[in-house]
Amino acid sequence: MSDLLLEIGVEELPYQFIVPALTLLQEATERLLKDQRLMFGAIRTMGTPRRLTLIVEGLPSRQAAAVEETMGPPTTAAFDQAGQPTKAALGFAAAHGVAINDLEVRRTAKGEYLFAVKRQEGRHTSAVLTEWLPTVIGGLTFSKTMRWNDTGVRFARPIRWLVAIYGSTVLPFKVAGVTASNRTLGHRVVGGGRWIRLKHAASYPLLLEQRGVIVEPERRRDLIQQQIDAICRECGLVLHEDQVLLEQAVYSTELPTALIGSFNETYLDMPEEVLMTSMKEHQGFFSLRYKETGRLAPYFIAVANTRIENMSFVRAGNERVLEARLADAKFFFEDDRKIRLSERVPKLAGVLFHQQLGTMAQKQERVKRLAGFIAGRLRSANEDLQGICERAAALAKADLVTGIVGEFPELQGIMGGVYALHDGESTEVAMAIREQYLPKGMEGECPCTKAGCILALADRLDSLAAFFHIGLVPTGSEDPFGLRRQATAIVRIIVETNLDVDLAPVIAQARHLVCEDGIAGLPHTDVHGVRVVMEFILERLRHYCRVVCGFRDDVIEAVVKAGGDQPLNLLDLMRKMNALQVVTAKPEFNALLIGFKRVHRLVTKERWTREAVDATRFHHDAESRLYQTLMKTRELVTGSVQAGEYEQTLEALIALKPAIDGFFTEVLVNVEDQAVRQNRLSLLKDIDELFLSVADFAQIVVQGS
Amino acid sequence: MTFQELIFKLQQFWAEQGCVIHQPYDMEMGAGTFHPATFLRALGPEPWRAAYVQPCRRPTDGRYGDNPNRLQHYYQFQVVLKPPPDNIQELYLRSLARVGIDYRQHDVRFMQDDWESPTLGAWGLGWEVRLDGMEITQFTYFQEIGGVELSPVTGEITYGTERIAMYLQDVKSVFDLVWTESITYRDLHHETEVQGSHYNFEEGDVPLLMHLFQAYETECKRLLAKADKRLTLPAYDYCIKASHVFNLLDARGAISVAERTGYIARVRALAKRCAERYIVERATMGHPLLRGGG
Repeated sequence: MSDLLLEIGVEELPYQFIVPALTLLQEATERLLKDQRLMFGAIRTMGTPRRLTLIVEGLPSRQAAAVEETMGPPTTAAFDQAGQPTKAALGFAAAHGVAINDLEVRRTAKGEYLFAVKRQEGRHTSAVLTEWLPTVIGGLTFSKTMRWNDTGVRFARPIRWLVAIYGSTVLPFKVAGVTASNRTLGHRVVGGGRWIRLKHAASYPLLLEQRGVIVEPERRRDLIQQQIDAICRECGLVLHEDQVLLEQAVYSTELPTALIGSFNETYLDMPEEVLMTSMKEHQGFFSLRYKETGRLAPYFIAVANTRIENMSFVRAGNERVLEARLADAKFFFEDDRKIRLSERVPKLAGVLFHQQLGTMAQKQERVKRLAGFIAGRLRSANEDLQGICERAAALAKADLVTGIVGEFPELQGIMGGVYALHDGESTEVAMAIREQYLPKGMEGECPCTKAGCILALADRLDSLAAFFHIGLVPTGSEDPFGLRRQATAIVRIIVETNLDVDLAPVIAQARHLVCEDGIAGLPHTDVHGVRVVMEFILERLRHYCRVVCGFRDDVIEAVVKAGGDQPLNLLDLMRKMNALQVVTAKPEFNALLIGFKRVHRLVTKERWTREAVDATRFHHDAESRLYQTLMKTRELVTGSVQAGEYEQTLEALIALKPAIDGFFTEVLVNVEDQAVRQNRLSLLKDIDELFLSVADFAQIVVQGS
Repeated sequence: MTFQELIFKLQQFWAEQGCVIHQPYDMEMGAGTFHPATFLRALGPEPWRAAYVQPCRRPTDGRYGDNPNRLQHYYQFQVVLKPPPDNIQELYLRSLARVGIDYRQHDVRFMQDDWESPTLGAWGLGWEVRLDGMEITQFTYFQEIGGVELSPVTGEITYGTERIAMYLQDVKSVFDLVWTESITYRDLHHETEVQGSHYNFEEGDVPLLMHLFQAYETECKRLLAKADKRLTLPAYDYCIKASHVFNLLDARGAISVAERTGYIARVRALAKRCAERYIVERATMGHPLLRGGG
């Protein structure tokens, strides 16, 4: 048993490429070892921007032996009467490279047959690995690749060295013109630039560490966290946690060293978001807060990739760069506030929303009208809300033409809110502008204010209506305009902020506004145009209900399918799902479901002319009992549905069970007398429709039986 | 170290690596990549090594001389190595040491920065090199130029000379850089910035510039259409001119967002045809630089 060490030495990889590459490397190696009949113990990967490493422990020195058996002719055809092999036998032996005397006779279910049995000894592991590891490396894929020498090999960045050792044996294969050896390089600067000779896998991490490389990402993460904690303790400051920045620091360093720097307090006059974005997006700095007040402090933490006794140059350099960035930001921030948002709105006519969908000015106008429309339809709405929404919408996109958003696009909305307040707009208007891009997807907060919700909703619905109108819809994994994310945001806003709104007329209005804007689109009918957008949102609702709410698939389908052309109130659909999930789990529900399905099958299968149920044609008590119960239940169902009390609705349906059972026990539906038959089928059809008006129970899978 | 000494040292270093020390191209351009010594020489099989200073014009970056870091006219030091040697990163680090940056005392980082020029139909992968957080160099392995896939590829190193000099001289404003012992960057270029910004943002004659764009484009196409004559180099000059006039129009705010893409596509179409023609021309000339078993 020996270990394998494979290291791909590269020029600095983009940090976000490393984890996926290591995953691929491990998967490909596991596949290779299995295909090559090599057992192995532990397998693990590690890496930095300059190296992707794989260690496999406990590899045997040879492949497991393989036995290959092939069935040949039956013995009856293999030997002649003299017992000599026939042409068939000789041919079979020759074809498989086995001497005629080595063929084996085996009894099978079909009689005795000749078998060629080849025992292939396992090859040396080192030979197998030397042959196949180049394929593993060649199989690594990245979202962007490049060529760098005349081999034409593609990789994320140039491969500059390869280490491949099995036990203590070098596996001298070649990839992209580089021959694998037992030599690696340490940290670019701290490592001194000399080659390190490796003897075996076990000492690899330690030898690298002596040359300034902490090769295991988990250890770098721990180290960074410890360093940051120590800095915070010493300064009495609190870190603004940021997972993205932390991962960036882990995977863009070999020898991370956190250090604190400061900036001029006067910049604290700017909104926190501006400061934090300046630090994060351009420089990868962490922000710090005061412990007592929770306010941003004029300090930052940078993670350098070196260790020097005197870090003062590094600190000073980083401070100087941030200073220039903040000076720029401050210039924009002050300059921006000289022009009111409302004065900027005309400039939006020069900003494209999308080539086929016109300018931002057009979009903003549509969103404004749609937001007003939504506000007007909300049950809880008042005139004030509508006014706030329309005012916020009228300024919503103006921050796109401010200097600071030009510099930091991720501050859109946030700066709009800040500048709106500065212009003297109300807090509600400013908040709505600020919150218009929330939530960002499945994660992140929803808007807090009602006007913010409405504006966010209107913006997303307009985008969906517009892109669907011109047929730019997501296909497979392609979603260049992030429409799925937008639809998810719609679902989340409605569900999580309890926005009681029927989306059907809102989507129709959104589509109407897009068409009215003169945007040339697909020749859909209005009904179809609205339906495709509804279906798209419903698809995201399904996903949300499955992942976030944990509803069963059949429950979700039963409710969504029953929706049909009804209004599209997502809250209502979720209430139904919730009730259905609770009720369908009850044991008495199964029996009812069986009864319903029987009713449903009958009325779907049989042909008859439906008429209003005629009580004078009843022959059995069970018929009139069912009829009476039906009428009572219908009333209960209508009432409880209107009140949104779906558990009551379902309980009412369950109460139908004895009457349905009684009907099927006592009454034969398909009788000779056509008038009686029609009457009975019509009664069942009424029952079927009552059920389907609540949910498509045909979708429900009987639970626990 | 004075600004001019920095340039001397870079030139000396790269001359030692076998580079032709080229001279700046005598035309306005947005980046050293437009210089024929990069754009055209990167095409085709002939090996090539060159280094040169290129004055660059970015009209929209002008700040009337008020901003300590932004200029509408500045100097790039450009190095092209075709094919790139295996130790190209190490050579680069050694060049920093040569100009007096002891990278052992600093945090030198190669941070992903994939370069793309829609105007030139060119892209490559590489990094921005940061020295203690400050971007001082663009480092790119060109993959395509003028829409043509390169073989061999070219390594391009573009030093921001002002940034490096500011670091070395420890000054906070580019205008405080010492060019020689007695002359500062301010003495030479502050007025360039003031007047340049005024012209770029306020005085540029939009109808004239529109006309020039059209005229340069037409001339470039006319030259390219002469299939029987070798006129790629003058044609490419007009492509450079068109690109610069587009930048001026952009700074004047004369081009809407919607029109921008169209203008860029027009310049790219010229660059692409120049690139294609250049490849054919060099082939008919028998790839002169392949001599000596290159």
